[in-house]
Amino acid sequence: MSNATLIRPAPGSRRSAVAGGMVLAVLAATVAVLPLTVPLSGYVLNMLMQAATYTVAVLGLTVVLGYTGQLSLAQAAFFGIGAYAVALGTVDYGIGFWLSLMLGLVASALAGAVLGLTSLRIGGHYLAMVTIAFQQIVTLVLVNSIEVTHGPDGVSGIARPYLPGLSLANGRAYLTFCIVVLYAVGLAVWHLRRTRLGRAMQAVRDNELAAGVVGVHTYRTKVTAFTISAVLGGLGGALFASGFSYISPDQFSFAESVVFLTMALIGGVQSAFGTAVGTGLLILLPEWLRFLKEIYLAIYGLSVILIMVFMPEGIWGLLERITQIGRSPSAAVTPRPFRLDIPTSGAAEILETRGLAKYFGGLRAVDGVDLKVTRGAVHALIGPNGSGKTTLLNVLSGLYRPTAGSVVLNGRDITLLAPHERCAAGVGRTFQNIRLFRSLSILDNVLVGAQRPGSSVRSEAALRGRAYEALGFVGLAERAAELVGNLPYGHQRLVEIARALAGHPALLLLDEPGAGLNPTEKQDLVGLLHRLKGHGLTIFLIDHDMAMVEQIADHITVLNFGKRIAEGTPRDVLRHPAVMAAYLGEVPGHGAT
Amino acid sequence: MALLELDGVTAGYGAVDALNGISLRVEEGEIVTLLGANGAGKSTTLRTISGLMKPRSGSVRFNGQEIAGASANTIVRLGLSHVPEGRRVFPGLTVRENILLGSSNRSRVPRAELESDLEKAFGIFPDIRKFADAPGWTLSGGQQQMVAVARGLMARPKLLMLDEPSLGLAPIIVQQVFRIIADIRARGTTVLLVEQNAHMALSIADRGYVLETGRLIVEGPPETLLNNEEVRAAYLGGRVAAG
Repeated sequence: MSNATLIRPAPGSRRSAVAGGMVLAVLAATVAVLPLTVPLSGYVLNMLMQAATYTVAVLGLTVVLGYTGQLSLAQAAFFGIGAYAVALGTVDYGIGFWLSLMLGLVASALAGAVLGLTSLRIGGHYLAMVTIAFQQIVTLVLVNSIEVTHGPDGVSGIARPYLPGLSLANGRAYLTFCIVVLYAVGLAVWHLRRTRLGRAMQAVRDNELAAGVVGVHTYRTKVTAFTISAVLGGLGGALFASGFSYISPDQFSFAESVVFLTMALIGGVQSAFGTAVGTGLLILLPEWLRFLKEIYLAIYGLSVILIMVFMPEGIWGLLERITQIGRSPSAAVTPRPFRLDIPTSGAAEILETRGLAKYFGGLRAVDGVDLKVTRGAVHALIGPNGSGKTTLLNVLSGLYRPTAGSVVLNGRDITLLAPHERCAAGVGRTFQNIRLFRSLSILDNVLVGAQRPGSSVRSEAALRGRAYEALGFVGLAERAAELVGNLPYGHQRLVEIARALAGHPALLLLDEPGAGLNPTEKQDLVGLLHRLKGHGLTIFLIDHDMAMVEQIADHITVLNFGKRIAEGTPRDVLRHPAVMAAYLGEVPGHGAT
Repeated sequence: MALLELDGVTAGYGAVDALNGISLRVEEGEIVTLLGANGAGKSTTLRTISGLMKPRSGSVRFNGQEIAGASANTIVRLGLSHVPEGRRVFPGLTVRENILLGSSNRSRVPRAELESDLEKAFGIFPDIRKFADAPGWTLSGGQQQMVAVARGLMARPKLLMLDEPSLGLAPIIVQQVFRIIADIRARGTTVLLVEQNAHMALSIADRGYVLETGRLIVEGPPETLLNNEEVRAAYLGGRVAAG
């Protein structure tokens, strides 16, 4: 693949990455076979088994909280659903471990999806409360529905599985099995972060509004995250039940959910490794502190508080910061020239609004605007502060549903489409107050834009190619690996433009692209917009710099109090008496000299 | 004695030095502007002066007192007010509350005096008067910028530092803002101004400094900077004459 060759890490960093990976693999294999070769006491065996099964469940929190930013306080409930499925399946119904496990995972997935579905209507603290309610319901059912669950007595005599030709009845063999499952899950969760889905999740976490506008189906992403998290909770629980052969409802209470959450946070919730470190530590810490007898709980609590205070990003977060692990050095990249993959023919008007209105209570922010944007043109929207410009842009990109009127793109009515559907239809935009995904690299920000629905490319290599092209176009390709938050304000605006461009939109909406740029940088922006126009892109922009608008706009619409007060070429509009009175003031800002 | 004096100030984020030995001074009653490209370190300079960032080395003297390393809270009480870029309006508070918060550094101010200062602020920005009791988030971006500047004025500072006060404002309001800045100085407040709108900034400034990647490269009165070909090319949108 030709564009794959464009993106290769520097040879040195690849060698060290391979070496690091091999060391890790050898270490991992040693740990996995250790239980088989070294005699372990029952006590140590149990502790390791608990650590392995808990980590699987806590990795679910890495996905839902660490990657997607949704607080779930019901991980113990899913842990319980998996555990009870295996317990009741093998003990009461005699359907064997594997079938019970499958049923447990399906049940967890369904419950997780339902929990995720509630995120359509509620978010933040309220969603966290819904998860607590769900947790309490599960606990109540486990305790009270005695005929099915055996109630507070719990279930004993849970069987361990057989693999073809291999019995896992032996504790040491079973521990090895759990460690192998943990590796698989850990690797999958670690890898998830670098996939389309993982990037979409992180985009939702960092800025849900912007995620929708650049094409992420935010709702589906959240439901998926909850489902994955629930399945991992269920899987951990199933392994746990089989490992300890006895379970009871108190092992799956709300308090346990809090323990799971603490494990994730202590280790570093955004990293699969951190999760493993945190879980291991919180299982070992009470054992290490046992000699303290009465004050053991106080010391345990204090240690947890100290770790949280001094390492807010968790242990792994701190390690990452010190050692720069996981931050790949800038790759030697020569992006191909940027080229827009969009249809340049069609109706003469790419965008048309009819009687578009948006009221907030009594405030008529946009009040019956008719607008026609010509294909391939640069169309500027100007007007006093508070005249409704940004509101209009928000209605166009689907963040607000209009009170009245319609929006037609390419002859298709898109009035009722969600932001990500409009993005798929070819609308890209930037924001007045920069909305980037702050914890992601510059490249990852642009990749989220590149992977928009309806895009003609799908492979990771092609996506990266597009992202680098867009970054090259705005002149930031060399800095691709840096964290986006480290860039100065003006360059962050360019990343937003690149993020929109990487999705190859047919219509680009820019909200004050020139804000925060000095006159020379504005000249560069004018050049960039001219080049984009040359690529056949239609640009609809808001800006207050009339010298800049006059240079690039083919057409200007002036808004005041939500209504259109003037319309036409820059030459006519900027000399319109009403525009001068309401907006321009005495001297139109004719820039240089 | 200069009101504000920086001597060899170095500061940065992580491993990178954003400021590399900055020395500048602002005399009482002056308007001084700081120009430069994005990422040159203009905002970092203001953040270092106001205590939002700690300098790694060098000294910052305000009114004869060393303030390098002091907390932002202490520095604002000495009469140094900073209006950061990007608005920072408290979304849940009303516009009135947002603006009144700016006076937190003044102790035991009579109610009537606060009301009269508030009234002056609304006099300067009549467009936001009608939103006095509306929560901050309901304002448009440009209106929020007005609230932020009004809040900075409520501190009645000796030195007011403005970081891109014209960002996102309509041309007619930008003209007002610059008139207001000149007016603020006429009333005795010294102003240190970071502004991308270099022409506007130089039209009211007494002196300007040009920053490039953490170093000051040129200093002088507006005419000098406006006539400096390099400065024109790099920051004023002008082109260096061919040949």
